[in-house]
Amino acid sequence: MWQQIFVVFAKEVMDNGRDLRSLLVALIYPLLGPILLGLIIGMVARVVVSEPQRQVGFYIHGAEHAPQLTSFLHDRGITLLPPPADPEEAVRNGEVNTVLVIPEDFSSRFQAQRTATIKVIANSSRLPGLLALNRMAVILGEFNRHIWSQRLAERGIDRNVLQPLKIKSINVISGAHIADVLLFMVPPLFIFNLFMGGVYLAIDTTSGERERGSLETLLINPIERWGLMLGKFLAALLFTAMAVTVQLLAFKFIFQMVGEEQFSFAHSLDILAVAGAFIIALPLMMMAVGIQFIIATLTRSFKEAQTYLGLLPLVPAIPGMVMVFSPVRTDEWLMAIPTFSQTLLMGQLIRGEPVAFTNILISMSSTTFIALVLIALVARLYEREKLIFGG
Amino acid sequence: MIEVNNLRKTFDSVNALDGIGFTARDGEVTGLIGPNGAGKTTALRIIYTVMRPDSGYAKVDGFDTITGRLEVQRRIGVLPDSRGLYPRLTAREHIRYYGRLHGMNGKPLEHRIDNLIETLAITDFADRRAKGFSKGQARKVAMARALVHEPRNLLLDEPTNGLDIASCRAVHALIRDIRDRGRCVLFCSHIMAEVAAISDRIVIITQGRVAAQGTPEELSRQTGEDDLEEMFLAVTGGGATGW
Repeated sequence: MWQQIFVVFAKEVMDNGRDLRSLLVALIYPLLGPILLGLIIGMVARVVVSEPQRQVGFYIHGAEHAPQLTSFLHDRGITLLPPPADPEEAVRNGEVNTVLVIPEDFSSRFQAQRTATIKVIANSSRLPGLLALNRMAVILGEFNRHIWSQRLAERGIDRNVLQPLKIKSINVISGAHIADVLLFMVPPLFIFNLFMGGVYLAIDTTSGERERGSLETLLINPIERWGLMLGKFLAALLFTAMAVTVQLLAFKFIFQMVGEEQFSFAHSLDILAVAGAFIIALPLMMMAVGIQFIIATLTRSFKEAQTYLGLLPLVPAIPGMVMVFSPVRTDEWLMAIPTFSQTLLMGQLIRGEPVAFTNILISMSSTTFIALVLIALVARLYEREKLIFGG
Repeated sequence: MIEVNNLRKTFDSVNALDGIGFTARDGEVTGLIGPNGAGKTTALRIIYTVMRPDSGYAKVDGFDTITGRLEVQRRIGVLPDSRGLYPRLTAREHIRYYGRLHGMNGKPLEHRIDNLIETLAITDFADRRAKGFSKGQARKVAMARALVHEPRNLLLDEPTNGLDIASCRAVHALIRDIRDRGRCVLFCSHIMAEVAAISDRIVIITQGRVAAQGTPEELSRQTGEDDLEEMFLAVTGGGATGW
């Protein structure tokens, strides 16, 4: 029996190895995610890394009204730049990141020790705009505190009296936070690709075989139908594993290439993490191929199967996409949910966090169990008389 | 030898088979003939194990098609109604795949493949991929993969459908040759002349039942007609069926 299963497996691998579409899905598509992420990292790195080093300049409208502020800024090494003609328009277009607008009455209010209002025009929808705004707010805050302690000192008051709390924030995340957010994109891309890699084979070996009219003849050979199914299943699993491997290695390569200095990814995803991710994903690959086979067996035509299976990879990737924006703690019960647990574990691996062995165990065993149930279901579908017609 | 007894099969309340029974003996060509939709293909599908009868049984060399499915499959070679090829596999690879599924391998298999390629005149396109094969070429390959394990019983569903005259004759010659080696051949067709030309025994099916069966001579005696077409119309009750 196993010899025949291998015969079917070998035939499907050879057959699909000659098919450009199967190869494209297994070997080229997996590169798209890493390339996309690489481009994003490259762009972000240019902003994050170069901005602090660049000489900081403030565009100030009405600088002449606030000599105290301008001299403060000057002392901090900040260059004062002439404002654009239409500050709001210039910021909106991204020509400049921020413009500080000082009203005419600033000086008189300042002299009178009243609160003076200044305006900051910024565009926080762009990353450079956000960073510039943040930088400007920090420096203006410093000016605020500087004047404030001066004035208190004139009145003989210790400024610490008015400061019951001094807040020092310690960021537990090592390295830049933005880098971390980008790493959160890896698991959904990974899951999407995993559900994509063998899809073409699943369709070709089931609905495709039926549509070509070769299925009926094949079923007449002296091999148990579950064996026939298993041979095809293993071929699709191999292509899925190929896609997963290609993508993991591409991620590793991209991380090595892009980023620089404090914004580096070179230590994310070492070779041990690559191997770990592959092993953790193995049960999910079986599950993915199981789902693909069920759909491809039940649909009547190649096109119908393609329609359903084209959408499939998006569904399991959704939890991961949500987690990019609101990360979840890795509770044990979550580890029992396929795709969810792999997303979490993959995230931990890639960020270099310790991964609990029990979590891996729960994730792998629960997903394997579900995969086996699905495989048993496909085997039953293969036993049906209807198999040669579909539906 | 193929025995079919009282086969019944219903699809969505349509009686495809309504108690069919016949025997196809070794060393004979048995032809199933009947109008379109008479149940020929369904009967063959039950014999070659891809369908289960609602009642009745089919046996091949004494093995039941349900309880002894694998034994039956080892003993039959089939050219089914749908006989598609794999576009990315060569003719030789098709035959080899089926040979391996039958547990053959190594030199004996390669020898057998060479043999079939020569007998069926596949040589010219033996190592070309099946995409773009003509109907005749594709049929030869389908025939070769059905014969690779030298089956004791051969089942053919409309074997010459869509072929030109020369190819038809080649198929007929092949069928006779296989019969002469003591094998059992069961084929179905709706072409009267074909059935008349190569059958030793004829089973006429209409509306899921056997209307008449026997050697051409026996049928001629039963119906009082000499011409097979007239016999056919006599037992099926005229020209009303078939459309």
